[in-house]
Amino acid sequence: MRVPEAGSREPGSLELSAAHQWGDLARGTAGPLLEAAVGTAAGGGASYADVRLSETEELRLYAVSGRAPDERIEGSLGLGVRVLVDGVWGFASRPLRDAADAAAAAADALSNARAAAAGSRERVVLPARDAECGCYQTAVAVDPFAVDAAVRERIVSDALAAATATAGVVQAQAGVNAKRSHRYFASTEGSRQEQHFVESGGMVLAVAAGHDIVQRRSYPNSFHGNTAAAGWEYVTELGLPEQAARVGAEAVQLLTAPVIGSGTADIVIGPAQLALQIHESTGHALELDRILGDEANFAGRSFIGPDAVGRLKYGSPAVNVVADATVPGTRGSFMFDDEGTRTRRTMLVTEGMITNFLSSRDSAARIGSESTAAARSDGWGFLPLCFATNVFLEPGTGTTDELLDRMGAGYYLDDNRSWSIDSQRLNFQFGTEVAWEVRNGKRTRLVRDFSYGGITPQFWGSLEASAGPAEFRTFGMPCGKGEPKEWGFLSHGAAPALFRAVRIGVA
Amino acid sequence: MPGAWAGQDHALAALEDALKSAEADQAEIFVAARTGEHTRFAGERVHQPQTIVECQVMVRAVAGTASARVAVSSLEAARDAVAAASELARRRDGASGKADTVPHGVAGAATIAGTAGLWHESTLAFDAVARSVLAGQIMDAARSAGASVAGVLTAAVTELAVATSGGQRCYAAATEAGFSLTALAGQASSYAADLGRDASGLGVRERAENAISQAAAAQDVIAVPDGVHDVVFGGLATGELIGFVPDFGFTGPAVAAGIGLVATRPHAVLAPSDITVADDATAGVGLPFPFDCEGTPKRRVELISAGHVGGSVSDLASAAATGGMSTGHAHIARESSPAPEAANLILMPGGASEAELIAGVERGLYIQRLWYNRLVDAEAGTVVGTSRDGCFLIEDGRLTAGLQTGRFTESVLGALARTDGIGSQLITQPVPNVWNGCSSAPAIRVRGFRFGSRQGKD
Repeated sequence: MRVPEAGSREPGSLELSAAHQWGDLARGTAGPLLEAAVGTAAGGGASYADVRLSETEELRLYAVSGRAPDERIEGSLGLGVRVLVDGVWGFASRPLRDAADAAAAAADALSNARAAAAGSRERVVLPARDAECGCYQTAVAVDPFAVDAAVRERIVSDALAAATATAGVVQAQAGVNAKRSHRYFASTEGSRQEQHFVESGGMVLAVAAGHDIVQRRSYPNSFHGNTAAAGWEYVTELGLPEQAARVGAEAVQLLTAPVIGSGTADIVIGPAQLALQIHESTGHALELDRILGDEANFAGRSFIGPDAVGRLKYGSPAVNVVADATVPGTRGSFMFDDEGTRTRRTMLVTEGMITNFLSSRDSAARIGSESTAAARSDGWGFLPLCFATNVFLEPGTGTTDELLDRMGAGYYLDDNRSWSIDSQRLNFQFGTEVAWEVRNGKRTRLVRDFSYGGITPQFWGSLEASAGPAEFRTFGMPCGKGEPKEWGFLSHGAAPALFRAVRIGVA
Repeated sequence: MPGAWAGQDHALAALEDALKSAEADQAEIFVAARTGEHTRFAGERVHQPQTIVECQVMVRAVAGTASARVAVSSLEAARDAVAAASELARRRDGASGKADTVPHGVAGAATIAGTAGLWHESTLAFDAVARSVLAGQIMDAARSAGASVAGVLTAAVTELAVATSGGQRCYAAATEAGFSLTALAGQASSYAADLGRDASGLGVRERAENAISQAAAAQDVIAVPDGVHDVVFGGLATGELIGFVPDFGFTGPAVAAGIGLVATRPHAVLAPSDITVADDATAGVGLPFPFDCEGTPKRRVELISAGHVGGSVSDLASAAATGGMSTGHAHIARESSPAPEAANLILMPGGASEAELIAGVERGLYIQRLWYNRLVDAEAGTVVGTSRDGCFLIEDGRLTAGLQTGRFTESVLGALARTDGIGSQLITQPVPNVWNGCSSAPAIRVRGFRFGSRQGKD
């Protein structure tokens, strides 16, 4: 039985499903801690303050060939306080041991803001807004933390055995993971929010070796597999043992697959690789803090300017990109971002034209706009930055087979092997784990070490068509940004898509 | 900034007490705590002044043929974590069938090297006010030069304490100071960064002024010419390149799987004899630290030793698999399986100044910063990436025009093999997602490094 994805106006008014009833912050204890931190910040001179209090538990079971399985459960409880004092931000976070830590974090944030005033030549103007209150919980059919250890063990050991069944596989890894968290938010504007999340995921990786050659295949996505906002039912649906056998066999097949030469070709990119393409060349490029220079020292800048909305042609008319955290079931699904902005569906690219950014309150105010609820942070410990949420290339029509038929000759590729893009998000080069040559609209031989590259707007300008909604897939992934580097958890989705005259074979 | 979050006495007493409650065959427990203060600035404001305290207490319990780890975020919950790990390990032992593999044990008592050089009062004095004032001065200097600047100034305290049922007890605390900044002027940019235990040795102001001057002098940039160039990589770019060396088979799991250079080409010649790439947390360079999270003393491991294939880094598990001893490189990366990690890489310095390396190039490139570098082929050592800030044309032994971003797909092993000059000054940079991770390298001069597509201009 699935609990409906639900929200309500008032914190505490939503009946939590069993999977969310755990830990020290499940209900009741968060309120006084939030009020203590908000009160300390406001009493200390903050014109604005927000507090994020969260408790997280994460389960990971990994098995690597030749090593004993390793299972771990990592718990974390803490809070982060952000203040604005005389137009200067300050932030502090710490683990929560007792109530004194809430006030101490707020005091540290105030000290940081006052110290920063000595170096700041400009002041922040944050438009006030009304309070937002509400509750949210992930829909969970089977609580992953209630699954018996033997069940987890069996799936992983079966997957590992299947991945190594093909001669030539020298190393394999299989794993399952689950995470649950309570997130509470309060601000001096009166916002009070609670969100309860559950994630589940799995992965398998096979490495095959021949003479001076090593190849890898993975499932359901390269690097960390895939994780969804769902219960154990998602892990079951992955069918890890069954897919592991295929992955192992393909890794070995790649050892003797040909390498194609460099040149230009039509390609159909599968949804896993396309998810990363969207992440690197669309999502990052549209982060407004980056566009405004806040991330110039580390994450970089963007070829897209703050005046691009309605002016910059980003891609072909087939390019429609949406940010929509209201879509359930992924790592980018939520009701409120980490500065309390209620999420909504936002078109970022419409028929190839830039129509909005991934923004926070601070960055949006600087261009006279409103936040698109993209302020995300890595748990309680880090500042909210502009991260992608659920950023999807909207599907077109038809099937992948119809796309391949339309292409005629070219390549079908998927699953990332290497990725690189410059600090303006313009010049990229990606390698994929796997590609098939397509002739007369049909997949034929496997080729290895496939790579393609391009310049972002030219590349997206070559998008001719995407397959329909039935072949649309989403992939959750972590993303690094900020100093110190923090992770944002998000998702990208797409159906397979046809690109014309793309530069290939560059590596 | 404040001192240690946990403190030696409190940390070891809490771990000792918690360990007593273990109901398992073996157990280990560590606490890793860090107080990091970061002053980020960009344009005309200090936009992200932060204090971040992190604390993880992780227990590993072994029961029969199974093990389990449980982690919490405070020492006060350490006993609960030990109890939970013991229970999970016992439950897993009861649930599993006949085990093909058995879990590795815990570290026994071993002598830990001294902690001299880890703690510097100058870093504690590099507090929020000092950092903010300095950030303001750097932004003022940039504005005066017609440039802008973005960067971060950091001071931190890192602690690690370990206790095992095998009798190991160890604790160390270390200060950490670092900076990085990007100066922008017109289309040109420059970059400076360094990291170490002692804030007084960073020279932030001078290096910021140099970066600002360099960017302001260039203003315009030209495209990186496609083709093979003589390239002088600055210490930061070199550090990025040597960061890939462990991926070429210099880890215990790769050796156990029979893949990579150590397994397939032991002692083979890779580079000139003056190239030594070591992982060495005992050398007093970068972010030295005396032991790993399993309590094993850290050992120097020369991955490339005088140009030859050297050894591999290991943890207790991979050492058990290969029949050796752990080199003290246990690591548990986020969302990943535990695996040994080379966390303190050093390319041993040579005797040349960076100016001398540049002077030895008639026409070529100076590359200060690389970006988004990813492994393409571990067997060939091929990496794809781009240049970024602070890159210049070299003409007649001098830096001239600034360069746009350029893409490369090249073998790091090939580059090391074609290195004919090594700088004397080490620069350290952090390695993200690795606990206490850093790489330290001098500038190098590589004869023949391709930038640009093999089929034409990007």
